[in-house]
Amino acid sequence: MSAARSCPFLRASILAALILATSPSLPRAEQPADPGAGEPSLSQECRVPGAQLYTAAKLGAVRAALAEKRPIKLLAIGGSAAPGASASYPAKLEAALERALPKVDVVIDHRGLPGEIASGAAERLRTMVVEAEPDLVVWQVGTHDAIARVDAEAFENSLSEAVAWIRSHGIDVVLVDPIYTASMAADADYNRIVDAVRTVATQQQVPLVRRYEALHYLSSRTDRGEGHILGRQFRLNDLGLRCMAEHVALTIVTSLGRTETPTEPKVAPASPPLTGTQRAPG
Amino acid sequence: MRDPNAIDFWRGFALITIFINHIPGNTFERYTFSQYGISDAAELFVFLAGWSIGIATRGRDGVPEPPLKSVVRLLNRTVEVYRAQLVVMLLALAIIAGAALLLDNPLILEWHNAGGFFADPIQSVCGMALLTYQLGYFNILPLYVLLIGVAPVFVLVGRFSLLAALTLSGGLYLASLVFEWNVPSWPGEGDWYFDPLCWQLLLVLGFVLQRWNGRSDVLRRWARRLFPAGIVIVVAGIVLAVTEIRPDPMLVPEPRLLFTFEKTYLTPARLVHFLGVLLAFAPVYALLAPRIGRIVGFLTQLGRNSLAVFSMGSILSLVGQLVRFQTGGGLLIDMLVAGSGLIGLGFTAWFVEWRTRSKTPRPRP
Repeated sequence: MSAARSCPFLRASILAALILATSPSLPRAEQPADPGAGEPSLSQECRVPGAQLYTAAKLGAVRAALAEKRPIKLLAIGGSAAPGASASYPAKLEAALERALPKVDVVIDHRGLPGEIASGAAERLRTMVVEAEPDLVVWQVGTHDAIARVDAEAFENSLSEAVAWIRSHGIDVVLVDPIYTASMAADADYNRIVDAVRTVATQQQVPLVRRYEALHYLSSRTDRGEGHILGRQFRLNDLGLRCMAEHVALTIVTSLGRTETPTEPKVAPASPPLTGTQRAPG
Repeated sequence: MRDPNAIDFWRGFALITIFINHIPGNTFERYTFSQYGISDAAELFVFLAGWSIGIATRGRDGVPEPPLKSVVRLLNRTVEVYRAQLVVMLLALAIIAGAALLLDNPLILEWHNAGGFFADPIQSVCGMALLTYQLGYFNILPLYVLLIGVAPVFVLVGRFSLLAALTLSGGLYLASLVFEWNVPSWPGEGDWYFDPLCWQLLLVLGFVLQRWNGRSDVLRRWARRLFPAGIVIVVAGIVLAVTEIRPDPMLVPEPRLLFTFEKTYLTPARLVHFLGVLLAFAPVYALLAPRIGRIVGFLTQLGRNSLAVFSMGSILSLVGQLVRFQTGGGLLIDMLVAGSGLIGLGFTAWFVEWRTRSKTPRPRP
């Protein structure tokens, strides 16, 4: 049918753009801010200004685990959990976290969660959480619901309920919103789902990795994203996953930084930072 | 060709419900009975498969066929279902990959757990043959392969004692719940979406109840007596589903699977609810059949050809999801998707029967 209608000629698979962004020929002056300043843990090709990368919130359970000097049990949910090409995400996340938190042991359990949050997957998530008994759930959420055209409000309600449930059991949550891809950038439903994830993160006061914004930023630094999606998709996956792991680690570490001083008044109730750059890129 | 009967009717009904429910977010989803209870169409489908085994392994006169013949018959069916699963998986992956290419959208590749296949084809193709790699919404056929594959054990034990077959099955079910046994997925973390060690109980229950039903009138008498209990359970299920009240899996006592509502493990609450639905709705067919002849004819035709219709339904629901994705959905699109899906399912059933007819050497009267 209308193959090309919804995705004009911007064939930029994000990840394609990502690799190109690493090209040394790119003028660094394009960057609006010095992204490296506050984020020394990010490698050069993954650097994004902090405001476009995350919103921090308290991580009480992880902080407690650190205080007790026991390993942090992390349940990573979403994305492909298969070995091989995609297996690198948990390993990369573990490496990034252990680099950022020296002397801390992080144990990661990675599970895929196919299906829609608004119809059934939220229930399966509960089972996974019960089985894994983690300190922290890092949840890549929203893509399936967006593709299935699930009503954004129904999605938001289910997600909010699920996050509240996890937190009610003393487990921390970090949300990771859907990825940016040029073919979906103008899609209203997709943007509504991205917004819904942010809304839930704000309401539930959980840290959010703004993957959509971050990848959009990275991909906008080049216009050479053309190409055959399959070939690029899988060659580039690796870098995309590495950036995501670094972004998640940075969000966790920043959030932990704000958790360690409980007496400090109103450090990060998660809402002020959210009001930043919330535009839907076209 | 079998005449219309309750089993094929309900099987056709379950097939349509599964088709609609496998297009998440569509308008008609909320009108399926799955939204108004603890159990859903998957239970009905597996139970009826067990019931059909009871019918198929016995001649018209009610005399059981030789044991070896039953074993070979079930082996034959296992091969058929396995073959269907492979074909359906291949087509689903091709449709997902084709849609990603055509729509120029890499996100589609990650849909329904398909990303694992494209990222790790070497492991995944082995997993596909082993049935341990499954796509989301494509988990029933692998369960079905395994269940029919082990069915000969229960059928043979049932020759000596139906109670022994049921006890064996129930014991395995309880142990799996208590010890949380499941078959692992591979590649990828996690377990099967439908735990065959638990779901086998429903198949065996269908088989055993069919036999008891055929032997004497006792089962039917009890079903009539328990009809009010069925109604109470159905109403309770509706209330729980609508109010979204369910046990918190973190707070229930151990062993927790005895108390939760998890579909994966066919937990006792789901089983009890399904039996309630069975009691409450068993008499409905006799009431409906004379009144809605055409619909009965349509549904029973689907039910008679359940494997082909189910396979086609899986593919059509995936296509329906893609159509909804590309067009943005909406009532009109949903009507189009559901309507053409139903026509497609009806055509599939008709086509299978036509093929069977045209293969027979002499035309039937």
